[in-house]
Amino acid sequence: MELTNHFPALILAILLGISFLSPILYRWARKASAPALIASLFLALVMAVYLLVQVLQVGEFTYYMGGWPPPWGIEFKVNLLRVYMLLIVLAVSLWIMVYALKDLEHELKTEVMGWYYTLYALVVGSMAGMALTNDLFNLFVLMEICAISACAIISIKEDRACLEASFKYLILSAMGTGCFLLGVAMIYMVTGQMNYDLVNAALPEAVELYPNNMFAAAALFIVAFGTKAALFPLHVWLPDAHASAPSPSSAMLSGLVIKIYAFALFIMFYQLFPRSLLESIPLNEIVLWLSSMGIMFGSIFAMVQVDLKKMLAYSSIGQIGYVFLGIGLDDIIAMTGGFYHLLVHAIMKSMLFMCAGIIIYTTGIRQIKQLGGIGQVLPITMIAFTIGSASMIGIPGTGGLISKWYLALGALEIGRPIFVVIILASSLLNAVYYMPIIVNAFMQQEQFQHQVKPVPRKMLIPLIVGMAAIIFFGVFSRPAIVLLDEALALFF
Amino acid sequence: MEMLIKIAHNYYYMVAILLFVIGMHTMLTHSNLIKKVIAMNIMDTSVFLMFVATGYTYGGAAPIVTAPANEVLYVNPLPGSLMLTGIVVAVSITAYALSLVVKIYRYYGTVDYDEICLIRSRE
Amino acid sequence: MDEATAITVILVVIFFPIIMTPILMSVSDRSEKLRDILAVVTSAITFLLVLTLYPFVVRGGIVQHTFFEILPNLEISIRLDVLSFSLTAIASFIWLLSTIYSIDYMAKEHGGSRYYPVLMFTLGSCLGIFLAGDFFTLFVFFELMSLISYILVVHEETEEALKAGYKYLVMTIIGGLALFFGIIITFELGGTVSFGVGSIIEEGTLIAFLAFMCFLIGFGMKAGMFPLHVWLPDAHPVAPSPASALLSGVMLKTGAYGLFRVIFNAFSIEVMQTNNWDIVLGVLAVITILLGSAVALTQNDLKRRLAYSSVGMMGYVLLGLSVLNENAIIGAVFHIFCHAIMKSCLFLAAGAIIWKTGKRTISELGSIGREMPFTMACFSIAALAMIGIPPLSGFLSKWTLGLGALDANATFYVIVLLISSLLNALYYLPIIVPAFFEMVGDEEQGHALKLSVQDVPPKMLAPMIILAIFTVIFGLSPINVPFDLSQMTSDFLLKGGWF
Repeated sequence: MELTNHFPALILAILLGISFLSPILYRWARKASAPALIASLFLALVMAVYLLVQVLQVGEFTYYMGGWPPPWGIEFKVNLLRVYMLLIVLAVSLWIMVYALKDLEHELKTEVMGWYYTLYALVVGSMAGMALTNDLFNLFVLMEICAISACAIISIKEDRACLEASFKYLILSAMGTGCFLLGVAMIYMVTGQMNYDLVNAALPEAVELYPNNMFAAAALFIVAFGTKAALFPLHVWLPDAHASAPSPSSAMLSGLVIKIYAFALFIMFYQLFPRSLLESIPLNEIVLWLSSMGIMFGSIFAMVQVDLKKMLAYSSIGQIGYVFLGIGLDDIIAMTGGFYHLLVHAIMKSMLFMCAGIIIYTTGIRQIKQLGGIGQVLPITMIAFTIGSASMIGIPGTGGLISKWYLALGALEIGRPIFVVIILASSLLNAVYYMPIIVNAFMQQEQFQHQVKPVPRKMLIPLIVGMAAIIFFGVFSRPAIVLLDEALALFF
Repeated sequence: MEMLIKIAHNYYYMVAILLFVIGMHTMLTHSNLIKKVIAMNIMDTSVFLMFVATGYTYGGAAPIVTAPANEVLYVNPLPGSLMLTGIVVAVSITAYALSLVVKIYRYYGTVDYDEICLIRSRE
Repeated sequence: MDEATAITVILVVIFFPIIMTPILMSVSDRSEKLRDILAVVTSAITFLLVLTLYPFVVRGGIVQHTFFEILPNLEISIRLDVLSFSLTAIASFIWLLSTIYSIDYMAKEHGGSRYYPVLMFTLGSCLGIFLAGDFFTLFVFFELMSLISYILVVHEETEEALKAGYKYLVMTIIGGLALFFGIIITFELGGTVSFGVGSIIEEGTLIAFLAFMCFLIGFGMKAGMFPLHVWLPDAHPVAPSPASALLSGVMLKTGAYGLFRVIFNAFSIEVMQTNNWDIVLGVLAVITILLGSAVALTQNDLKRRLAYSSVGMMGYVLLGLSVLNENAIIGAVFHIFCHAIMKSCLFLAAGAIIWKTGKRTISELGSIGREMPFTMACFSIAALAMIGIPPLSGFLSKWTLGLGALDANATFYVIVLLISSLLNALYYLPIIVPAFFEMVGDEEQGHALKLSVQDVPPKMLAPMIILAIFTVIFGLSPINVPFDLSQMTSDFLLKGGWF
């Protein structure tokens, strides 16, 4: 059917459309606004699944916006890896939204809920666009949409902590954008193209004449995407931002937003730049060592935190380090591990933030040392927390082990076992700060002292789905791994 | 000597880079929030300058087609139009940032970042 | 019995206890008696099913079955051969006896609703370890068992128990990570981690040595090998006594089993001996034996002394694994059987004493043999077997190990065995002799032995007596099933241990 050809654009259009409609619906048809958002997210997910089926049958294909081919028009490319990212973004955001419907009522003022839906839809839409786009300037625009709406879903809570955190995030994000745009300028100056494939074709001859532009662009891209994806040492905005945001925003930010920038960096290195660049300068080495430091420091800082959400935020810094480790090792097996970790971490970190959100919703507690004995009053929540932590540590049977397996295997393949030691040491550190919470929650002698509101079912169902998903991706990982292998083979 | 000639020819780019660095430095080191927003604007503007300067063709005419006379050489319109989009983006970020500053002032009573950090660490 | 039936039986044996766990949890709320009966029935059914595999195994049948591929080249598979069967049988047997013992023991304690389901789950995962068909499946069940048995260790929830549990947990996780490293290097070097192929790593390169060390750290930590034994003397005493019996009697053996598989399936005897890795194992074994026995002398708490004794005894198995000839392997496998029976008996008896009289320290145990003669009789038989008095089973295992050491011209090991037997005597006899022969407050009335029997109830007594009887039977009597199994295992392993 003719319509199905336009699905790549329609996904974006639906999400942008609902973001514009939400305030109107919220003002005049309040009861319809949440279902409308869920329905549009679901519709976008269905379209993404259709795209997956199409790619599996036909292979990679492209879509021209408005029918204008590049270099005049914007191109959306649909291949296995991009559809993989698209599915992760849409599925996880739908799942978080189901949780958010109930949780937002107590975190936000009632009159701004409609605006939250707008911002949420904008974040999801821009990330979906970033997964599909094949044009540098389109990436810039979508990146900016994502940046503003990501900062806004933090500051919408309007208390002291989140405003300052949001502003810090905005400034550093803007710095990243400035660097990115300068990098694009560098590339445009010598190639005259904006489309990834056309740039890739034009760069080798351009580099003959102007070698420094490409190096400058590569460096600026690392800074830009590193800032936005919290690569050490550009991660300083993350703990405040993710800890002070409302819990669904934390889940969305930790789980998806930082990942899409890691994906964008991967696309820059492997699709935009020619292979000879990666071989002539050790860009991978830089990313590799920065990610290793991020892994270690993220875990070390997490150990000393007293606030639950801040601990989870520092843990995110370590975990995104794994994804960058996969990219930095420059081996297809390690990349498979890194991208699988992207999927697994999106689910498990979002679930952990949801558990934290439920704890705050029912008891108002944010400090870890006050969580003793909470397992007796919130059993399902703490079991979900246990499974999420088990996956973080890398217990077999959960998805975390599979990604660590592949990362370790990749590190050994290229003959650098030191990174296996780093992965294992960080698993141990993860255990050191997750285990005490679980043990104290279930083993405490005294009864839990605080008032507990009952947990709404709408907030528990996403947890159960999340637990099932983590164990599913730990046991039945084969389909996803095979898909990733095929997806990444295109780039090598 | 050759380097100086090159710089003299491409002074647009040099100024753009200079403005970029000034903007980034101010954004990161100065503590006043409004200054940070202004610096962000300077940084973005410098990149726009760079882009637009890229498009300029020496001896080219403005890129407007007036039939029936067709010039031989036009200035490249693409960077300019791209940068219009960029300016819109920068303006929206500035608007959002300034609204955040207003809200921060309402909550903290100051727009100095160091003071805000002191207040937060005391909480 | 054909292969398909064997596979079904194996699956049931592993997963039936795990499936019964939630059932036990829900039954606990309603009726405690039903829960106890259900737990015993579960372990009994498991043990009987394991026994049905005996004819298949004795014929030389081997099962290596893959279920599905979790990742390319990485499978979840099960394996049944003489080695797995031996350990599965002894594990399920001791588990059954411990569960029967637990009924009365746990009636006095709290938390029974948590104890029985966890006990059953640990049984299932323990059998999963022994019946695993490749290193990855073994690793999965190993982690499961280690983490869930943490709940058994901290059952009492006293501060001491929580501290011991924390140490146990941290060391378990470190061991698990080391295992992960070892398995991944094996996968990288050999392309597979299955037990169904021959030796996976053929050359002793530096990175293969790294794999060996990681396996040693991972499995050695579980088996209580020096210097990773530090969790053991804290964790075993604080657990409830039937759980201590299982921890000492069965779960330590999982570490030893892992080392068996590492030596025979990941590497091979040639690789071990060419690269002198067996010397590394030997040195560690000797230190473990001497250290365990020596420190046991200084302990005053009964269960702590037994725990250090376990450390020493596991050193015997490691010693057998380092000598690697026929008698040594027979001795090692047979010692696994013997030690499981003897140490469980000892811990159950110690538990009976604590349950009945509340006495935990050895200095208080004078003349307790008169109040609890049956318990102390079982304790004494097991202790004498530990020392190595003929014709008990402990003597036979030491004899075989000594023969193996002599075959390999390692007289030093024989001396170590003799010293350790002496040390065993030095720390067991002071418990047994005063228990029976000490006159406490009876000096005025002469030396008439007054028996005032207040022993433990039969459900606690029967398992101890059964274990003590087996200690005697499996010594120098002709119907020595474990010894036959050990001989078959040794033959099987020396021929390659995989087909």
